Amino acid sequence: MPKARLIDTSKCMACRGCQVACKQWNELPAVSTKQRGTYENPPELSGSTWIRVEFRERPGEWLFRAHTCMHCASASCEKVCPTAAISHQGEVVIIDQKWCIGCGYCVQACPFNIPHRDEITGTARKCTFCIDRITNGLEPACAKTCPPSAIQFGERADLIAAAHRRVRTLVADYGYPNACVYGENELGGLHTIYVLTDRPPVFGLPETPELATSTVLAQWLSGVITAGVVAALPFWFLFRRRKQIEAEQKSKVEGGTK
Amino acid sequence: MITWSTSIWLYLWLAGIAGGAYFAAFLAERFAGEVNRKLLRLATYLGIPLAVIGVILLVVDLGQPLRFWHLLAEFKVISPMSMGTWILLVWVGIAVIMAVFWWAEYRLTEQMARNLRRITDVLAWVDFVFAGLLMAYTGVLLAASSQPLWVGTLLLPSLFVASAVSTGVAIVIITAVTGRNWAIPGRMVSRLAEADVILILVELAVLIGYAIWLGASTLAGTGEALRLLTIGALAAPFWLGVVLLALLVPFGLEVANWGKEIKTKAVWRTIIASSACVILGGLILRAVIVIAGQM
Repeated sequence: MPKARLIDTSKCMACRGCQVACKQWNELPAVSTKQRGTYENPPELSGSTWIRVEFRERPGEWLFRAHTCMHCASASCEKVCPTAAISHQGEVVIIDQKWCIGCGYCVQACPFNIPHRDEITGTARKCTFCIDRITNGLEPACAKTCPPSAIQFGERADLIAAAHRRVRTLVADYGYPNACVYGENELGGLHTIYVLTDRPPVFGLPETPELATSTVLAQWLSGVITAGVVAALPFWFLFRRRKQIEAEQKSKVEGGTK
Repeated sequence: MITWSTSIWLYLWLAGIAGGAYFAAFLAERFAGEVNRKLLRLATYLGIPLAVIGVILLVVDLGQPLRFWHLLAEFKVISPMSMGTWILLVWVGIAVIMAVFWWAEYRLTEQMARNLRRITDVLAWVDFVFAGLLMAYTGVLLAASSQPLWVGTLLLPSLFVASAVSTGVAIVIITAVTGRNWAIPGRMVSRLAEADVILILVELAVLIGYAIWLGASTLAGTGEALRLLTIGALAAPFWLGVVLLALLVPFGLEVANWGKEIKTKAVWRTIIASSACVILGGLILRAVIVIAGQM
């Protein structure tokens, strides 16, 4: 049975314990940052920051969302990776650090802006779902540390059922009419499921994320048709005419000399 | 965060010129019924170093440059970068073989040279197809991503192909009129300049279609991407570099030259100026699209 991680934004208090636990377990260096007028820190995900609590403020309310890899069933990063360094190991999307060439294609392809090229290793890096922990019966470091259990780890089916129950409660009892579950069916099913207290775009998530390669055949056709037809026509028009004109001139000249 | 910067847009520009020059030279001579292939040779000799420089830029831009060979251990149809690697490899490989054959032609017996020409003829056709794929790939590479500017329409590969052929024609023209040793007939160059006028119109039409499509797209972020280009931080390079330099100025210059043979210094200067604008404008187009897509 596939495992998953449930992140409940209604429970997150932005302690950022997940960020610290992630760095500790994965031995990722701290980043030197500047005060930007917010406790949201560091400023963005990077090759050495794999989970980050995003802060969004609106009148009377903070919206917090731990932003990390979704481990998509249909993963854009895996599709575009030219060396097949990115692969699925069960539900986990893993970047093979010994095979990655650091081309940056996965960085452009991810609909959630997750992988980043690490300046030190030169490779693309991101959340590994703590594969070294979960294959040994432990939960990921972020879930283990989360004080209000806003991040939970378990059977995907159970977590989805729990997420729907939570959303029903949020709608009925807490006054969040737009609360929703995110990740159940997106991109073939995500393995990071969210309980959101509002619509996905409010939390910086695409309403309908698309696979980066979903239009690739049409894109190839666009280029090839332009080359083979549109760009070729002027040459046919101008140079074929030249051949004809020259043939006519030649016959005239020949006719003249007779 | 800008992950793909200078090396990438320089590379897309160089690969486009290499493919475009070959594509244009091949078609011009095929339709004109030329047999000695001077134009195609010129385009091939220009294209090989341009493509190789582009590849070097790409490899240097990798986070792990010494692992570039991992690209050659995989053939992955769904990944445009993997396909591009193979397209580029085949295109350059065949171009080099053709160059060697052309060099060898003069050093063999007549019978052997004739056989070699027959092989070169087939290779030239194959490489023509790969030149088309190479130009298309520079656009498809960006279009298989999650950046709204690149994926919001199906016209980015089309735009890059139009620009590639236009810049390719321009570099062939400049080389033909400055390098007298090539002895490319003046009428051939004039027809190429006229072809470029039509190509510029095609590119302009595609660009307008691209902008309209982006504006009408329901995909999140396409509106912002369009505004960034047209009225935002990149408006100056877009309007001055792409619209004016790559399209309107060379269009005006080449229309003024339409039908004139290159006999006077003024026509000669105009043709070089307009071609230089096309080439430089093509570079700015790649830079603007690559950077804006990641902002």
